Amino acid sequence: MLEAQNISYSHRKFSILEGIDVAVNHSELLVIVGPNGAGKSTLLSLLANELGSGKETVFFKKKTFREWDDKELAHSKAKFSQNNSHDIPLTVQNVVMMGRYPYFGSIPRKTDEEAVLKAMQETDVSHLAQRDYNSLSGGEKQRVHLARVLTQLDNEVENTLIFLDEPLNNLDVLHQHRIMHTIKKFTQAGHTAVMVLHDLNLAAQFADRVMLLKKGKIVSHDIPQKVFTRETISTVYNFPCTICPNPVNNNPLIIFGT
Amino acid sequence: MQNKLSIYLLFSLLLLALLAVVSLYTGVYVFEKHTIAETISGIFNNDGSVSDSDRFVIMDLRLPRIVMGILIGSALSVSGTCLQGMFRNPLATPDLLGITAGASLFAAITIVLGAYIKPYIPEVFHFSLLSIMAFIGALITMMLVYRMSTIDGKTNIVVMLLTGVAITALGFAVMGLLIYLSKEEELRDLTFWNLGSLGGATWTKNGILAVVIIVCYSFLINKGKALNAMMLGEKDAEHLGIPVEHIKKQIVILTALMIGCCVAFAGTISFVGLIVPYILRLIFRSNYHIILPLSAVWGSLLLLTADTISRTIAPPSEIPIGILTAFMGAPIFIIILIRSRKTM
Repeated sequence: MLEAQNISYSHRKFSILEGIDVAVNHSELLVIVGPNGAGKSTLLSLLANELGSGKETVFFKKKTFREWDDKELAHSKAKFSQNNSHDIPLTVQNVVMMGRYPYFGSIPRKTDEEAVLKAMQETDVSHLAQRDYNSLSGGEKQRVHLARVLTQLDNEVENTLIFLDEPLNNLDVLHQHRIMHTIKKFTQAGHTAVMVLHDLNLAAQFADRVMLLKKGKIVSHDIPQKVFTRETISTVYNFPCTICPNPVNNNPLIIFGT
Repeated sequence: MQNKLSIYLLFSLLLLALLAVVSLYTGVYVFEKHTIAETISGIFNNDGSVSDSDRFVIMDLRLPRIVMGILIGSALSVSGTCLQGMFRNPLATPDLLGITAGASLFAAITIVLGAYIKPYIPEVFHFSLLSIMAFIGALITMMLVYRMSTIDGKTNIVVMLLTGVAITALGFAVMGLLIYLSKEEELRDLTFWNLGSLGGATWTKNGILAVVIIVCYSFLINKGKALNAMMLGEKDAEHLGIPVEHIKKQIVILTALMIGCCVAFAGTISFVGLIVPYILRLIFRSNYHIILPLSAVWGSLLLLTADTISRTIAPPSEIPIGILTAFMGAPIFIIILIRSRKTM
């Protein structure tokens, strides 16, 4: 699905990423974790084709992004960004509708309207549909953008790819879990998700594979059970922790400060 | 909302047609026949029922002027809307960014120095020299402002406006110098640029304007969706399959072309690009899909109204149209400033 070998990136001679190899299959949820400044967001941007570095090393479905047609790519790949604009003087519904822009010419078709409604239900913003986007709280705005990104990939294309950069910031527990379930459902339908998360326990509970970064290098890249070990996590985060099996589902449970 | 666009457009166009007819019949000169229909049908039938002076006033004075008002109002307002979409700020208008000043600066230089260069350039270019120079002036200013104020796709509004102020100041300085140096005949032309007027309208100018506007609109008018998406940020717009860089280049070149032509033919008519999008935003929020096409018609409505007032309010003289638009635009400028002072 998505492959990249030996990715390196530096900004003004300061190296941010070094020699990263990534390979994500379909139906897979890859979560990237790591302390601040590890290069998580930069890696996600590179994989999502945001930093046109000229060196074409990322292959999506065996093609580089440059070989893709703009519109076709927009049907197969979407990204949720961390820094969403706070000033968009439109209604919530209009903002979510932007996710359907790759699908219609000037007037949305019925399928587009339906996809928008569906995505708004998914992220629980249906009741805000006619509100001004600018009047929403941070968490609500975030859910609006999540709906926009989800509706962008609501199509017949097999194996689409979604990038999410810290989608759960500002969200309450209920919505954190709802979104994670939605993403899980999305990958179980054969699609792929690559996500940056801060919450290690959510990563342990939902991820198929976890990539742990520190200072621009991969520390560990494997299934959650193998990445989340007491030794690795306490060294990487430079903070003591205990890891025990989650009593409910046996996934690793990380308790910091002990 | 989106499907109603055609209804709004149709309604606005009807209003514009009505206004044009009213404007045609309003003025200092009083026609011999007293109904509009009689005069117009007389001209079309060419049966001698309309006197030569009536015909002259309608066909060579008022009608070209009305058409020019429609064209220039529309072009200025669409330029403003496009620039606001590109800079993502309601204050980005041709005049506040100094683009109008840049264009009129080049036009003024051309007027004063044109006499010296004219013998050396082919005759075909004599007439269009002014518009070409104004276009170049607009383009240079636009690129300068964009380069100075935008880093990594984010525009610093204060730098953007101050660059506009700096360029406008430079424009004034050069203009002052030129006025000082110019001969009497050139002086009259120069005063005209500063104040802006539709009084110089001719069918040739209208023809050039119409061609420029049709070409520009064929690229710009359907960019509403793209401008909406750009409110998300340029990277997010690209994820939606929108070729942001390409669209920005189109906007820069085509708005410069339109502004250049408007300035060359009618001087600096300020604030149209600020007033029209502001009013439309009040009604339709910032949905460019609706306000971009509507601004094309509402710009015409505004400028035609202003021009009709400017030539009838103090007969037999005319007050410069720029004064009227500034009276409307300056308060709106202040309102937008007050609203956005927290974010600047």
